[in-house]
Amino acid sequence: MSLVDKLGNLIRAVKQNGGLFKSIRTFYFTDDLKWGTHVGTDKYGNRYFENNYYFMGRNRWVLFNDAFRLEYDGSQIPPEWHQWMHYTTDKTPIERPPVQHRWMVQHEENKTGSSKDTYYPYSTTRTKIESWMPKNLR
Amino acid sequence: MNSSTVLRRTIVSAIQQRQLSASLLPRTLHTSTAVRAKSITELQDAPRKSVEEVGLGRVNREKEFPKIILDVKDDITSFNGVPKEHIHERTARIYVPARNTMQSATNNSRTWKLDFDVRERWENPLMGWSSSADPLSNLAVTFSSKEDAIQFAEKNGWNYFVEEPQPVWKFKPKSYGLNFSWDKKTRVSTK
Amino acid sequence: MIRPRGRMLNTVCSVAHHHFNPSSSLVLPTTTTRSLSLGQPLLQAAKQPPAVVPDNRVELFIDDKRVLCEPGTTVLQAAAMVGVEIPRFCYHDRLSIAGNCRMCLVEVEKSVKPVASCAMPVMKGMRVKTNSVATRKAREGVMEFLLMNHPLDCPICDQAGECDLQDQSMMFGNDRSRFTDIKFEGKRAVEDKNIGPLVKTIMTRCIHCTRCIRFASEVAGVDDLGTTGRGGDMQVGTYVEKLFASELSGNVIDLCPVGALTSKPYAFTARPWEIRKCETVDVMDALGSNIVVNTRGGEVMRVLPRPNEDVNEEWISDKTRFAYDGLKRQRLTLPMLKNAQGVLEPVDWEAALTGIAAKVSRVEGREIAALVGGLCDVESLVVLKDLLNRLGCETLCTEEAFPMNAAGTDVRSNYLLNTKITGVEEADLVILIGTNIRFEAPVLNARIRKAYLHNNLRVAVVGKKTDLHYEYDHVGDTIQALEQLANGEHKLSKDLAKAKKPMIIVGSSSLQDADGAAILANAIVLADKLKSGSSSGSSDHDWKVLNVLHRHAGQVGALDVGYTPGAGKIKELKPRVLYMLGADAGVVTRKDLAADAFVIYQGHHGDAGAEIADAVLPGAAYTEKSATYVNTEGRAQRANVAVTPPGMAREDWKILRALSEFIPGASLPYEKLEDVRHRMADIAPHLLRYGAVEEANYFKQSHALVHGSKRPSHSGRALAPPQTVLEDFYMTDSISRASRTMAKCIQAARHHKTTKYSVS
Repeated sequence: MSLVDKLGNLIRAVKQNGGLFKSIRTFYFTDDLKWGTHVGTDKYGNRYFENNYYFMGRNRWVLFNDAFRLEYDGSQIPPEWHQWMHYTTDKTPIERPPVQHRWMVQHEENKTGSSKDTYYPYSTTRTKIESWMPKNLR
Repeated sequence: MNSSTVLRRTIVSAIQQRQLSASLLPRTLHTSTAVRAKSITELQDAPRKSVEEVGLGRVNREKEFPKIILDVKDDITSFNGVPKEHIHERTARIYVPARNTMQSATNNSRTWKLDFDVRERWENPLMGWSSSADPLSNLAVTFSSKEDAIQFAEKNGWNYFVEEPQPVWKFKPKSYGLNFSWDKKTRVSTK
Repeated sequence: MIRPRGRMLNTVCSVAHHHFNPSSSLVLPTTTTRSLSLGQPLLQAAKQPPAVVPDNRVELFIDDKRVLCEPGTTVLQAAAMVGVEIPRFCYHDRLSIAGNCRMCLVEVEKSVKPVASCAMPVMKGMRVKTNSVATRKAREGVMEFLLMNHPLDCPICDQAGECDLQDQSMMFGNDRSRFTDIKFEGKRAVEDKNIGPLVKTIMTRCIHCTRCIRFASEVAGVDDLGTTGRGGDMQVGTYVEKLFASELSGNVIDLCPVGALTSKPYAFTARPWEIRKCETVDVMDALGSNIVVNTRGGEVMRVLPRPNEDVNEEWISDKTRFAYDGLKRQRLTLPMLKNAQGVLEPVDWEAALTGIAAKVSRVEGREIAALVGGLCDVESLVVLKDLLNRLGCETLCTEEAFPMNAAGTDVRSNYLLNTKITGVEEADLVILIGTNIRFEAPVLNARIRKAYLHNNLRVAVVGKKTDLHYEYDHVGDTIQALEQLANGEHKLSKDLAKAKKPMIIVGSSSLQDADGAAILANAIVLADKLKSGSSSGSSDHDWKVLNVLHRHAGQVGALDVGYTPGAGKIKELKPRVLYMLGADAGVVTRKDLAADAFVIYQGHHGDAGAEIADAVLPGAAYTEKSATYVNTEGRAQRANVAVTPPGMAREDWKILRALSEFIPGASLPYEKLEDVRHRMADIAPHLLRYGAVEEANYFKQSHALVHGSKRPSHSGRALAPPQTVLEDFYMTDSISRASRTMAKCIQAARHHKTTKYSVS
């Protein structure tokens, strides 16, 4: 691959990301700057891209909703897009919308490490001592 | 530990060894001549000793290794590396464990035991396993006599207290016949 | 050791005849060197006709070790004297001989058959072999039979790890059995019996040693247990399904050599090898029974007795054994203080102590009072007294009352069990006054029953008739009856005066109200009368007659360090600050205090005391502190730490010491527990002489004071101890009131009362 190709890719990437400043911003947030086909956007505003110019494993990627800023996390990808991202299917949920069932719950990101809503394990053992509480607290 | 203590200890142990070997000398000589008198083919195993002879009985041990009473108290706290907290703040308890009343045998109540004051244990919030920060919680040493236990505690610089064993069971002659005597209340009522 | 000379010569002769092993000198009268070193001229002894002391002891040889023992001793006992332990299942030192397990078979020279050593009396010149081939073979055979009828369920058996059958089959059993269930008839299986909430039965495991039956009928005094059927169909049980209605029932769990009787509350909770043992003392009654607290992972798993001949032999009451689950419920684990709204809320230690100190320093010393309960240790009592005395407070009372007229508690012999617990075995008459001793001190009652069976002890009772499990002469219900007895006017007076070693046991439960003074005064007069009558015939001039049986473990300790018995002084004073140390009997209520009174409660359980408190300080229970308790005999005993206090709770003396730092000018000079104990030794040195009884002997003076003063008047009421039936026994203090097991016991006892199988 010639230097010219590389330069061309860079220019395309900068262009696609909307100019120099926005490209720097993307690079700052994702440590990467790529260009590709925008194949779709999910309900959370994450944008999905594909470019088979890159080798397998790097040819599908997501740019998270800008609102997440640095607080993005792989678990913010909904299951239907997760399928496409992980090459379970080549059809995007836009090309083949997922079947909706009544029993399906809303996707929820992993809250571990966030300041609130974190899951804390509770003791599964009985307390060895039962404390006395005054009448008002009983 | 300062150098004078080291020196004194070295001298003491040297004296101790010399005295010991001196006391053993005639005996050693005697046995070796006895052995030499026999030809090599006649050599047999050493005569079997009885349990009392080789056992932990205090009397025999003292006979074989006469005790040398020195005016120096052993103190190993300066170099044994035990944290100060576990030397000065611990109380050892020296006692004869009681017989477990669930069983009739008495062998576990014949030696002296040294263990320590109980420190806090807490439990793991998930599994309920218990933890402790007390390295001495599992130290329970057995001794054949109270004096040995006391010496051990003093050597290690622990405070200690001694609980004397409970008064011994007074034998009262018992008779099978009492179950059937007509004029005594011991006659069994229930079978 | 001075012995009669004739005996000395005999000894020398016997030494000449028998080459003896010096290690067995324990059982020999004296050794040669010893008798010579006495320095008495032997020649002179030879001149005089020897004063022959009949030494009727029988000489026999156990494994070639020479033993001299009293005639009538059994071979098994004689073997124990020289440290030879013969395996046994049915034999128990404190029960009668049954001789039915056959495990103690030994070979006796010139005897054709092996001999059951537990029942065989010693005979002159007997040569017993406890480890011969024949003996071992006999044991192996017995073991094979036992295991044939015993399930192999050690992995799920609670006894496993401390099971006599398990250990002895490892030691003496064969490695295989000839039992083959060729016809698939199955092993022996027996239906389990429900005998109450304490003892779990798995009767298939029973080997018919009958220890439990003998315990019930001999020690506990209830003929509840027995056998039905014969041979392989024999079953141990209560005949009909009923409660094993005894306050000592838990002891059959210890006695059972297999896992047939195990503890119901302890079932499947812990294994003996994972348990830590702490030898300590009990506080559920005033006897101070010696116990071993078994803990695992900082939790009390069970309580077992610790043999002590002078106190509890080998028994403990059910309350001592099973109330431990009360230590885990209703606990005070956080300091609490009332907030501005007058509502208790948890605070940290500093806030609690600062708040209390502010209230205490606002009032004058004489407006402060302290009330201590029955479970307090001497250390905390001493520190509390020192602290409050520094503040100028002198009103320190115990909840339990004691009559203070005449000598009151100034004379120590007035409030102790002076003859000691072992005195019961020497006594020939016990007069119980106003006590249901069966529930107030069950282990002492078992000893009275033992003396009743074996020494023909005579018992007389003044007070309400209750079932004590032995026969007694009922003197009368009322105080008048006692008065008549004291004046020698009662119809039993003459009869009872014949006693050589009489004992009077006054229950402290009857001394709680205004009539207590009259009861105690009459008891003192009666004691003096019996003493003067007996000393003429008795050789023992030191024999003490008067005994007081307390109900609470901390009471004697509190009286020894100078607390005032009874809350009367507090009710007169109407204090503005009341410090309650474990006071849970509800003797003092808000009405007895000043309107703006500040009540501090320090203790381990949320009970009557904590309910009325403005500040709550969590203390340690008896298993959680190194502490001194003085039992009703005056015997100081040390309790040790089995587990640490839960949560933020701390040892009681430390709390008081910390509080003293917060009150200006009251800082106490102790840093460590040793310092507190030094202070205790300053007050009363006997408090540190653990295990020993400090005797008191001021009966004459006490009697003179009673005699000199006017005999206190009384209402002439009947002496009715508060505990009369079994269900009254189980809950008496803050620990047992919090216990679920005790609640179940009460339920079972109440149900038992409604069945037709209940005796009383």
